[in-house]
Amino acid sequence: MHRKSSVYANISGFFAIIFMGFPVYWMVTTSFKNRQDVLSTEPTILPRSFTIENYQNAFSREGFYTSLRNSLIVVLITVAISLFLATFASVAIARTKFTGKRSFISALLIVQMLPLSALIIPLFLLLTRLQLTNTIGGLALTYVAFILPFTIWTLRGFLANIPTDIEEAALVDGCTRVQAYRHVLLPLMAPGLVATAIFAFIQAWNEFLLAYIIMQSQENLTLPVWLASFTTRTGTDWGPLMAASTVTAIPVVIFFSLIQKRIATGVTAGAVKG
Amino acid sequence: MSSATKLRLGPKKNVWPYLLITPALAVILLILGFPVFRLITLSFQQFGLAEIVSGIPTWVGFDNFQALLKDPEFWIVLRRTFIFTFAMVAASIVIGAWLAHLMLRMNTILRWLLNTTLILVWAIPALVGISIWKWMFSFEFSIITSTINRLGFDFAQRNWFTNTFSGFSIIGGVVVWGAIPFITISIYAALTQVPKELLEAAAIDGANSRQIFRSVILPILLPIYVILISLSIIWDFQVFTQIWVLLDNRPASEYYTMAIYAFEKSFGLSEYGMGAAIALLMIFSLLGVTWFYIKKMVRIGDGNA
Repeated sequence: MHRKSSVYANISGFFAIIFMGFPVYWMVTTSFKNRQDVLSTEPTILPRSFTIENYQNAFSREGFYTSLRNSLIVVLITVAISLFLATFASVAIARTKFTGKRSFISALLIVQMLPLSALIIPLFLLLTRLQLTNTIGGLALTYVAFILPFTIWTLRGFLANIPTDIEEAALVDGCTRVQAYRHVLLPLMAPGLVATAIFAFIQAWNEFLLAYIIMQSQENLTLPVWLASFTTRTGTDWGPLMAASTVTAIPVVIFFSLIQKRIATGVTAGAVKG
Repeated sequence: MSSATKLRLGPKKNVWPYLLITPALAVILLILGFPVFRLITLSFQQFGLAEIVSGIPTWVGFDNFQALLKDPEFWIVLRRTFIFTFAMVAASIVIGAWLAHLMLRMNTILRWLLNTTLILVWAIPALVGISIWKWMFSFEFSIITSTINRLGFDFAQRNWFTNTFSGFSIIGGVVVWGAIPFITISIYAALTQVPKELLEAAAIDGANSRQIFRSVILPILLPIYVILISLSIIWDFQVFTQIWVLLDNRPASEYYTMAIYAFEKSFGLSEYGMGAAIALLMIFSLLGVTWFYIKKMVRIGDGNA
């Protein structure tokens, strides 16, 4: 489909790069500017100073390490549990037939469409009743439920591309069904599992609204909620906020670049093949 | 996959799949299923702080819905939400598709640069993106205001959010900026997958470029567009965090969309029953708009195995 490059496309592309990339550029350069430059009413596109004081300032700010720790714990629990459960469920959908499968799939899809801001009302009341608000466990459990439908759906996509012949051969060779799944299918699923795990990581790492509502006390904040707390009634510390934002974004950017291709094709693959 | 190659489950045919899905289903039912059910019952109740303490709700039938449908504010918020959603979906799909088609005609270096930029933006966590935009449009030291001033306009210091049009434009800007990468990269991927042989065959058969687009490219792209538009509607309709954080956790009522309205009624005013009614109406509007998409996806999932 590629055609000869055209001047119009190249010029438009150039401006697209500038417009799309500028906010990221502005975050990174601001994070290395000294206070005077950040608070200048005549900001310049090219930075005039270089300092890491914004980073030191952000790290020493109250709550950085606790919220980093909270984020890591919640995210790791979420990824481990949701992947474990999703593996079983996706094998069921992709490899077996059962009554109610269609309903199960419909439920998975509809659930992903429910607006979070709608569900949070009864969810908050439920977690209050179960005394799970303001606990890492409560937040992780909620994340697992919200991430499961997507992880099951994505793993199903990976499984659909693994031919059944290989497991069949194992069965013919005398494997039990469990052995066939564990020793034959699971290794083949590994790339899909890694990609799905990374995706779940990103989702949980970035989540704001649930954490904002469920984790109210200062020592229970996650990174995004901590980021949002930079703006107080007295104003915003822009330099440290941009430094903290950069730090929050880095793991996601690294992970994301690893799986980007899979996610891009994964989301729309069903449309072309189905 | 022919039925002959399908795994047979033997006599235990019906037990296995249920064992495999039960743990996942249990978590989903508790954290998502029950709240959906509770949302429905809640919308028929008067449920405030007193009811949270006592645990005994007061049933009020359709009162919440009646009050809402009579409240002019509800209709203003609903209309605002639809317009805002439509604007964001249209902007992100049009710009996204335009960039994808441009990428086909760019030179290799620019295409690589654009692709890298898009992936970078895609990877930026929503809250980080919001913080950056908040900084770019900040009241005192905004790079945008000073750039506009340097171009010869006189804005001095400017609070972009006192005017709801510019305010919503910035909120929409964050959303669209974050949504474009996924849309562009998906459409570009689909465009590059159009088989060369098909295009050549069509050209040999004497089709002109418009015919080729209509009968070869469009049928391949159409399902992708349906998915992207449906997903965009679903995401943009419930935009919450962008509005909430850009307006410092206390948006004025001119900035209420359905999501914010339901949230404020529940957590701001402790009228959980009323909030639930708004949320329920929001879900129904969303399901109505995306019905086609759900049906198609269910068919895809069911077709396998």
